[in-house]
Amino acid sequence: MTGSFYPPPPDHVPSDLIVDFDFFHIPQGYEDPAEIWRDLVRRRAPSIFYTRRNGGHWVFLNYEDVVEAYRNFDSFSTYQTPVPPMEPFPVVQPQGVDPPDHYVFRHLLGPMFTPAAVRGMTEEIQRRASRLIATFMDKGRCDFIADYASKLPTSTFLYLMGLPEERLPEFLELAHVFFRSTDEATRAENIQHIYAVLDELFTEKRRNPGEDIASAIVAGRDPSGKALPYQAILNCGFLLFVAGLDTVTNTMAYIWRYLSTTPQARAYFRASLGEPESILRAMEELFRINAVSNIFRRVQKDFVYKGIVLKRNDRIVLPNNIVNRDPAVFENPQQIDLGRKVNTHVTFGVGHHRCLGSHLAKREVMVTIQEWFARIPDFSLGADQSAVGAFGGSVMGFESLPLTWEVSA
Amino acid sequence: MTKVSVNLALCYGHARCEDICPEVFATDTDEGKCVILSEVVPDHLLEKVELAVLNCPEQALRLSDEVEAGAS
Repeated sequence: MTGSFYPPPPDHVPSDLIVDFDFFHIPQGYEDPAEIWRDLVRRRAPSIFYTRRNGGHWVFLNYEDVVEAYRNFDSFSTYQTPVPPMEPFPVVQPQGVDPPDHYVFRHLLGPMFTPAAVRGMTEEIQRRASRLIATFMDKGRCDFIADYASKLPTSTFLYLMGLPEERLPEFLELAHVFFRSTDEATRAENIQHIYAVLDELFTEKRRNPGEDIASAIVAGRDPSGKALPYQAILNCGFLLFVAGLDTVTNTMAYIWRYLSTTPQARAYFRASLGEPESILRAMEELFRINAVSNIFRRVQKDFVYKGIVLKRNDRIVLPNNIVNRDPAVFENPQQIDLGRKVNTHVTFGVGHHRCLGSHLAKREVMVTIQEWFARIPDFSLGADQSAVGAFGGSVMGFESLPLTWEVSA
Repeated sequence: MTKVSVNLALCYGHARCEDICPEVFATDTDEGKCVILSEVVPDHLLEKVELAVLNCPEQALRLSDEVEAGAS
């Protein structure tokens, strides 16, 4: 994908706003994929700039502008946004639809992902988390990503959709190809495969409904009481599959990578296990500093934003990780302060498209902190992390994260 | 007397307020939007409520000091 689509800049982009930047390309020697973004800030790139890479797109580097793009859906649409452009791209429900149409699915899904709903899922998530940890706790080592961080969100997805746990390997493979393959033919086949699995799922849930989210979606109605179009239902299932897996996996990978190299942070969590408010505050700081998503928007109409001409269909990339360190908003932004009192990070977005699964994602991380620290003694990074592939793109992360700890004989 | 209020048109259900001060803030079961349990902020919770207000990513919460009825 890297650099393969490299058109000349459009006429409305002034040359002093062009920076050569490829957010899929992580150079050799970079241990943290977010560093390529921080390089931009260190190099004093313009806070709004254009790159020809990946089909050509804008980048917003300031908190204020990213928040504006999130809030102002009339100008910054979520419809058909992929960077590089990929057409046709499924109209994922409700993320890929602007208000007011977006409310149909947002209203349907909303009650299933409220804090109250997520509290009801906690025991099941705890059970799945502790079972995963039990598979490696006596070995004294694990690959945190392969053995845990990729499995918990996928296992949680199966639970939410009313699918049996035995299908975990199949779904892990589907997710792995979807998130890691760069081969176009493989990706197209994989998307078809995901849709076939969703079709089978929703067909079964229509015939034989349960207490799960898939059953609720397939029985959903629009505000006038009409059944929802079946293609939209499939697209909603597709969103739940793609939105809740890789983001959580890599957020946890970043957090455990930080914990494995920071004894004070491990001590903080060990001491705070009985204090949810302290854990939550520290978690918000780790979400701020370890935001993995670079979010896309598409300019909806020609207009001038802060003196810069934006044209309909221009793509914009919004790097949460960078704007979460904007010194105009955060005190000592580069410092990781687990007790940070004021922290309005945008890791879950803001406005109408605030991450619907944010409470579930937070619960998965909270449960993992509690289950992990209750079972695993003091741990550290198992190998030189520079040897382990870092990847960029819309979600940043690592291929693996080896962790080790002492096992009592 | 300090009161706290929410502008529900700005609230998108982050629930940061509920996380920070569950004594005063909850969320509804429909959209997960803010529900204020106690409009009048008890003195011992003032600091936590102030933090909840400052941490709202949508700036949907407001604190106001109200002069008691009868006072000039």
